[in-house]
Amino acid sequence: MTTAALTSPIDVDTIAGRFVVDPADVITFPHGVPGFESCRRFVLVTGAALGPFTCLHGLDGPSPSFLALDPHCIDPAYEAAPTGAERHRLGAGADDTLLWLAVVRVDGDAMHANLRAPIVVHPRRMLGLQLLGADSPYPTDHPIAG
Amino acid sequence: MLVFSRKRDEAIVIGDGIEVRVLRTGRDSVRIGVSAPADVLVHRREVYDAVRAANRSAAATVLPPIAALAERLKLPPTLERVE
Repeated sequence: MTTAALTSPIDVDTIAGRFVVDPADVITFPHGVPGFESCRRFVLVTGAALGPFTCLHGLDGPSPSFLALDPHCIDPAYEAAPTGAERHRLGAGADDTLLWLAVVRVDGDAMHANLRAPIVVHPRRMLGLQLLGADSPYPTDHPIAG
Repeated sequence: MLVFSRKRDEAIVIGDGIEVRVLRTGRDSVRIGVSAPADVLVHRREVYDAVRAANRSAAATVLPPIAALAERLKLPPTLERVE
C-alpha cells in the first residue's frame, strides 16, 4: 500500500478476506490505535460477506486488521461515552452521532469482544479513536460465542 | 529520563500547559494531579498497555470462515435481525 493520495478503488487483504474499498471511505486515526500507533488510515468494511461483523482494516505499516461488532448489538444496555479530551480529539459535539465498534478476538472456539475500549468513529469528519475505557465497567474480553 | 525531587504541593511543568503536581505522598504511593489542555489524553500506563495487548492479540488472529463465526455468535435475541 502506497502513501500517495488515493483516487482509485483500494484492494485490501483483510483478516476477513479481500475487499475493494472507495478511497473516500478512508477514516483517519490521528494517533493510530494502541499497539499500532503508526497506522493512521483505516477503512471500515461491511457487507453481506461479513454478516453481522464489520472489519476495520489499517492501510499503513503492518496493516492491522480487526473484526468488530457494534457493542450495542452485543449488549442492548451498553453505555459508554468519550471523555472530554477524547471528544475533543474527534471534533465531536455533544449531539454528534458516533459509530461504535467493539474489537472481536477469535481464539479457537472462543470469541470475545472488547467492550471496555471501543473504537469510535465520527462519520462526518471521518475521524477515529479508540477509547481507553479507564473507568469503564465493561471487560476487554466479553464472551460472545455460544 | 529526567528525574526530579519534589515535595508535597510542588509541581513540574511539561511543554505548554501540562502541569504534574504532587498532592500527597504515602508509604507506597504518591497521589498526583495532572492539569493538561483539553486535547491531551492523560491515562494510566497499565490502562494503555491492556488495550494495546488486546489489540495486538485480536489483529494477530487467523480467522475461520466468517459464516462459521456468525453461526457461533450469541447476540441478544431481539437484535439478531441485524443479519
